[in-house]
Amino acid sequence: MLMKRVVITGVGAVTPLGGSVHSLIDGIESGKSAVRFMDEWSCYCGMNSHVAAPAELKDEKNIPRQKRRTMGRMSIFAVQAAEQALNDSGINLPYIPSGRMGCIIGSTTGSANSINNAFNILITDKDMSRLPSGMFFQCMSHTATANVAQYFGLTGYVLATSSACASSLQAIGTGYELISLGKQDVLLCGGTEELHPVVTGSFDVVFATSVKYNRSPHKTPRPFDKERDGLVCGEGSGILVLEEYKHALRRNAKIYAEIIGYSTCGSGSRISQSDEKSIIQCISEALKDAKVSPGEIDYINAHATGTLQGDKEEAGAIRGVFGCSVPVSSLKGYIGHTLGASGAIELIASLIMMEKGIIYPTLNLDEAGPDCRGIDHVTKPLRKELNAILKNGFAFGGVNAALVCRKYNNSSQDFVL
Amino acid sequence: MTEQEIVDITNKVFEESFEIEKEKLKPGAHIFTDLGLDSLDIVDLVAALQKSFGINIRNEEEVRNIRTIQDIYSLIIKLNKKRK
Repeated sequence: MLMKRVVITGVGAVTPLGGSVHSLIDGIESGKSAVRFMDEWSCYCGMNSHVAAPAELKDEKNIPRQKRRTMGRMSIFAVQAAEQALNDSGINLPYIPSGRMGCIIGSTTGSANSINNAFNILITDKDMSRLPSGMFFQCMSHTATANVAQYFGLTGYVLATSSACASSLQAIGTGYELISLGKQDVLLCGGTEELHPVVTGSFDVVFATSVKYNRSPHKTPRPFDKERDGLVCGEGSGILVLEEYKHALRRNAKIYAEIIGYSTCGSGSRISQSDEKSIIQCISEALKDAKVSPGEIDYINAHATGTLQGDKEEAGAIRGVFGCSVPVSSLKGYIGHTLGASGAIELIASLIMMEKGIIYPTLNLDEAGPDCRGIDHVTKPLRKELNAILKNGFAFGGVNAALVCRKYNNSSQDFVL
Repeated sequence: MTEQEIVDITNKVFEESFEIEKEKLKPGAHIFTDLGLDSLDIVDLVAALQKSFGINIRNEEEVRNIRTIQDIYSLIIKLNKKRK
């Protein structure tokens, strides 16, 4: 079967560093941390982590009320990021044949704040008639993808990859596979997430959050660092336009990169912990799918959230596959762990790195922990031609995902590798 | 509650819950064609009116016949009198 080639032709993001890809990159390049002390969480007893990286919700009233009423915070982020990505791609929606363009957008759950509000009505008032008509549409697991599809009138595949922190990388990987198979021409792929104390609390109870830096929030999370003590939740959305290569060529689109390999797998064990062996399997399969050797990868954008166990397992896996030969960095120090959105947001930043020929360092990595050594940590901006990159993403449930992209060469209209 | 208070509270529901400008809130305004409400909005309109006036209107037969803002004023005024 002839597989089609898949390229990325548009990007959009709302992140803790601002409401655009530009603000994300500006913030990272300035070494800025969006993590802050969450004074509003002081009322919760039993919560040890009081830091987070919130994104600003703004301009939501630009979305017509009847479209907006079914959107919780995360869907608004997703629609705004998707609109940026579409504008960036230059795609003219009315010219896409019916059924050939859809969206795949994942999140950990439905809108957490909306779920909170719904149960607040039911538990406090015990009055079903007070539930707003749009509430269910905000709470359902596929709320973001459904709202994006409705907002833009998309008639192709409408899927939601609900796999916690691997949601958006699985969304992009699934989009890559569907377009490769010829099932779709264009897909909006990515993820979205919103902050809620229950989300941070869920990590808190399993000792996965950062608790030592509540009074110095900019010092955490600390991916791979010897003083790391856990993750910090963030929020936002990252959306990419995935497009069949010839479709993109025909309309003379700007091409950020080609997706050349993807793999996802389960560890089959340890629902709350990463697992080096299965990460190695996932990365190896993604490289095999991409038909590249480990030596051909120029940069790894790590999942590395700053947890004791997760970073150790990922560093071990990278060491096992690549040794110390490939530069590695994590972006969680700048924007926290945006969970279901992280894979997409960080892939977008990696594509910009590829475009600019620079690797952004891991913020707060002062000295690698003994268990994270033996890989090529980037601690200062590093100039390098990036022809092929690997993006990792892992999640509760023992879920692993890895994606390989390669640079598009404008002059030859062919790919570098 | 006076009739004017009922008018004011009803108008406030339209302004706050449905983001409709005050100038459009004329008694004869059709809630679907002039104000742009749809079937899901009616669910929220009923809930908002119930909350604002503390009365149950969801099961009132006349709710199905509401077409204009004046229809809402009239229904609430009638139910308010009944409550007294």
